This record gives sequence, structure tokens and C-alpha cells, in this order.
Amino acid sequence: MFRGIALAVAAALCLVVVPVAAQEKSAVRQDFELASNSGKKILVFHPSVRVGSQSTGGIFEPNAEWTDRARTNIQAALEKYQKQLGNAVITAPEAYGEDARNLEEHMQLFGAVSQAVIEYQFFVGNRLPTKKRDNKANIFDWSLGASVADLPGAKDADYALFIYNKDAFGSTGRKVLQILAAVGPGIAVKSGEHQGFAGLVDLRTGNLLWLNADGQMGGDPREVDGSEKRVRQLLEDFPGSNLDKDADK
Amino acid sequence: MRRAGAMVAGALAAVLAGPAMAEVAPPPPPYVGAYQPQGVDEIGLWREFDESERRLAASELVIRDEKLNAYVRHVLCDTVGTDRCKAVRVYIMREPTFNANMSSNGTMRVFSGLLLRMRSEAELGAILGHEFGHYEQRHGLKLFKARRTGTDLLAWSALLASMAPSYNVRRSYADVQLSVYGNLFRYSRDNEREADRLGVGYLNTSKLRPQAASAVWQNLMAEIEASSRSKGLSKPRFNAIAFTASHPPEGERALTMAALADPDGASRDDGADRYREAMAHWLPIFLDDQIKLNDFGASDYLIQSLAASGWTAPLWFARGELYRLRGQQRDLVNAAEFYESAIRLDTALADAHRGLGLSLIKTGRPTDGQAALRKYLELKPEASDAAMIRMMLTKEGVTN
Repeated sequence: MFRGIALAVAAALCLVVVPVAAQEKSAVRQDFELASNSGKKILVFHPSVRVGSQSTGGIFEPNAEWTDRARTNIQAALEKYQKQLGNAVITAPEAYGEDARNLEEHMQLFGAVSQAVIEYQFFVGNRLPTKKRDNKANIFDWSLGASVADLPGAKDADYALFIYNKDAFGSTGRKVLQILAAVGPGIAVKSGEHQGFAGLVDLRTGNLLWLNADGQMGGDPREVDGSEKRVRQLLEDFPGSNLDKDADK
Repeated sequence: MRRAGAMVAGALAAVLAGPAMAEVAPPPPPYVGAYQPQGVDEIGLWREFDESERRLAASELVIRDEKLNAYVRHVLCDTVGTDRCKAVRVYIMREPTFNANMSSNGTMRVFSGLLLRMRSEAELGAILGHEFGHYEQRHGLKLFKARRTGTDLLAWSALLASMAPSYNVRRSYADVQLSVYGNLFRYSRDNEREADRLGVGYLNTSKLRPQAASAVWQNLMAEIEASSRSKGLSKPRFNAIAFTASHPPEGERALTMAALADPDGASRDDGADRYREAMAHWLPIFLDDQIKLNDFGASDYLIQSLAASGWTAPLWFARGELYRLRGQQRDLVNAAEFYESAIRLDTALADAHRGLGLSLIKTGRPTDGQAALRKYLELKPEASDAAMIRMMLTKEGVTN
């Protein structure tokens, strides 16, 4: 009854081969345009960053030091590139009490909405019945609702940027397994997992303006260079972006 | 022949009596003080739990009633001692199931469904002590490492098995897989047993009555039985261990805890009155959540066992709601009776008048029903459903 059930399920799942994640995908809301150098203020909420390794059997092994380093690097890279795009990045103020609860609700909501976009609009075929028509007509219409205007710091900014990163670097054991599985029975074992998604939300209407999701991101966020590559990839289809797409390929 | 029979009987008796023969739980080991995680794995896990606690602290599910929080913390400190309880942050969650858990970084989550089911401070202390035992023994880290070792082994054996794909190899791979998973689940159950032992150990050295630990599981078994009975299911088995069970069976836990409890502690106070008093404000809310789980047998069992120390207006009201929401004609007659009992004890209980009115209207007594509904509106004119209730008053041709 107490603790453990989730762990057991996770244990059972970790051997299921993760389907080779689909290509990166991004979308911009049809009625949204952002000219480069428009000097918008972008509020960034506590980015979700998790860095660790992948055990031989495929379990995620969190690493606190890597996570801390990646968080700092990503923040710095983000400021650098948004400056290049002509936008200013504002770090969201630390929230307390009611504000913190409201923010947490919206962080969860953003997570749920972007997962729905990724699952039902971007990648697989199981379309939501209510979104079938949108998908055919290439309409990107998702919203968090106007309540985002009350989020802490929202008054001083135009948009909110949510960022999610999860990196699991293949351990030595995993890499050896990968090679032996390839040369032996010829089985493809995936070593490492690098997911990222970023979304831009209009702080007045709550509309999701842009979302970029990638199941196989490049760049090692533990390093300064790598984080810059990562953020460049996350932002490469950002509206008004002049970041060179080919530089990373 | 006869000897073999005697041996089987002896072995069986040993198995059955095994847990009951456990010795009284030893007092807890000396406390090491503020513990900090060590090594990449533990520091990494703690960081994950710190992040999740960050979200938890801002969650809408957390009950922030200062008095209730202080009380639960007080029971924890009474059980494990003031030095140990400093390491813990307690979060009471509005979640009507019987559960509590503890993360490696000292985050304790106590579900409201647990608070509803406890009868005394000692029972609550037994659970909180159990959870603290997981923390003190660093079970989270140990289980993580066990899972990693097990799945690593499986990855290698899957590779080897696929190099020689024959029926026998595949079969032995399946055996390895079963034994690895079986071992992991057994490992988890053994951790639970260790935490149980520690939990009773804390209680033994506290001021509270350690025998309460066993009562928790006896009550739970009775509730599960009541639930299955009302669903028409067969009688649950409380001594069987399922392959994938993360915890020992309830029967075993009840027996073991009874044996672990220090007999000298049997005469101690279990704090039942204090517990009832502390929960009084929240009881109707927790009962309401429980009723909405739509588990008639379990809810009725809980209400009746709460009423063992005397029926109160909130208990009669909860029983009325339970019956009215199931909503058979016979239930409505009973519900009306329960609401009336609630009103007899507390005429100002507005929702009881509402429930009574709605039940009476459906059982063919519209005039009495409308009178009750009018009383409801009189007591609670700002009720969120006032407009709808008013419609019910005029529809039947009776105006107010």
C-alpha cells in the first residue's frame, strides 16, 4: 500500500524498447507573426532540466551536478540567443503563496497541453477527434486560457517561454551493450535519450503561439558549447528567428 | 507415512505461525542527525525529489490548515522522537485513498484518506513511523540500485539469449526474467517488513500504545471485506502473496505487528479522544470525498466504525448522503431516516435538510420534502444550488 507500486511499474517498463522518437517538429499559430528585432519581453519560468545517465538496462540515473550545470548553461545560452533575436529575456520572479500555487497550476497545464500537442498533433496517428479537422487544415490552435495574465511577472512581459529538457547519457555499460547488440544479433539498442521542448505563450490571451518538440536533440547541455547548440536547436523555428538552421546539422 | 504427515503439518504450522513468532521490535538505533546524501546516485535522487517537492509545496492538493498540519507533525514527533522528526516535511494531501509515502529527501506525503481511517494517535503514529523507517533505512536508494542491477542483468541476458535463438534459450531467458522481477518484488516486500519493524519499534519507545499498529491492518481488512461483500465479490484472501505485490499481505502485517508490539505498552493511552477532536473539523470533508469514491461497502463500513464511539450529526449526514447517492428506492427511504437523525442532533445542519428534502420528494412525499428544502434555503440562502432548489419548490405547484 505504501510506496513502491510506481517503482515496480517503472521497473517493468524500463526494458520496453523506447520507440525511436519521431523527428523534431514545430508549429506556429497561424495568426501570429513576430518580426525579428521587435524588442519583445519574454518571461522565462523555472525551466525543467533533468540530466543523468542511462543504465545498461535503460533506467534513468539522475545526476545532480550535471543537472545544475545544464540549468546554468541553458539559461545563459537562452539569454544570448534571445538577445540575438532582438528580444529581452526576463527571469520570472520567485513566487510565494497564492502566486506560487497559481504558477504551479499553469506549469502543469502547459505540460499537459504541450504533451497533447506533441502526442495528438505532431507525431503519431491517434488524432483527437476534436482536432482532426485542425490537423488536416494545418491549424495550430491551443490555449492555456486568459488566466496566464495573472501569473507572477506577467505584467512586465509580452510572452512566456516554457522550456523542458531531459537528457540521459548512455552509460559505458549501455554503450557496450549497444555495440555488442549491433555486431552480434544485429539488434538496435538505443543509447541515451535527449528530449527537449519549448513553447511560447501569449501572456494576454493564453494562446500557445509556438511549440517546438524534439525527441532527439543535439548538444551536450553540460558544456557551454553544447548548451548553446541545444538552445539554438530549441529556438531554430522560433518566430522571427534568424538563427542558422544548417549550422547544427 | 505418518511421519511425513507430521512433518508437513509442522512445516505448515511454522509457516503460519512464522510472522506471529517474531520477537518484540527492538528500540530504534541511535539517530545520526541531519543526514546528507552521499554518492552520485543518492545526490541525484535527492535532487529529483527536491524538484518534485518544489512542485508539491505549490500544489493545490495540499491541505494547508495550520492546525491540522501541526497536529499530524506532533503525532509524528511523539512517535519517532523530536530529534528524528526534524528531518521531515509533512504534506497532507487531499486524496481520499489509504496511503502515505516518504521520499528519500525527507518529504512525507500523508493522504487525507489515511487520516479518515485512523482511529487514534497511536494508529497514525504507526503509519508515520513506518514511513520514517523507509527514510532512515534509505530504502528508496536501495530499491533504485536493486532495480538497476536487476535490469542490467536482464539486458545482458536478453542479448545473450538473442545470440542463440533456440527454444531452450528463450525458455531460460524467460526464467531469468521471472526470477529477476520476482526478486525485485520480494526485495520491496522485505523493505516494507523492515519499515514495519522500525515503525513498531518507535511506538514501543514512545508514549503511545504500540498494539495500535496491528489494529490498523485489522481495520483495513474489515473494510476490504465489507467492500467486496457489497460488490458481491468473493471473500478476499489476506494471507496470499501475489507475485507482483509490493507489500506483504495485510494478514501477515497484522499478525507481525501484534507480535512486535511491546506487551508492557498495552495499557498505554492511544490518544483516540485527542485524535477525534483534532479531526472533527475535517471529518465531514474527508467523508464527503470518501463517499464520492463510489465504494458503498467501504464507505458504510468506515461510517459505522467511526460511529462506534457515538453517532454524531456529521456521521448520520454522511450515511444519508451515501445511501441517497446510491439512489435505489429503498436507499432513499433509509437516507431520509438518516438525515432526520442528523437533524435531531443538529437542526442547523443545512445540507441535511437538503438531502432530506430531495429524498422525500423522490419517495412520494413532496410536501414534506419541499418543507425540508425551504428550511435548507432558509439556513443557507447563498447556497450554490439555491436557484435549482427554488425551481423544485415551484414545479410541484407549491409556492413559497
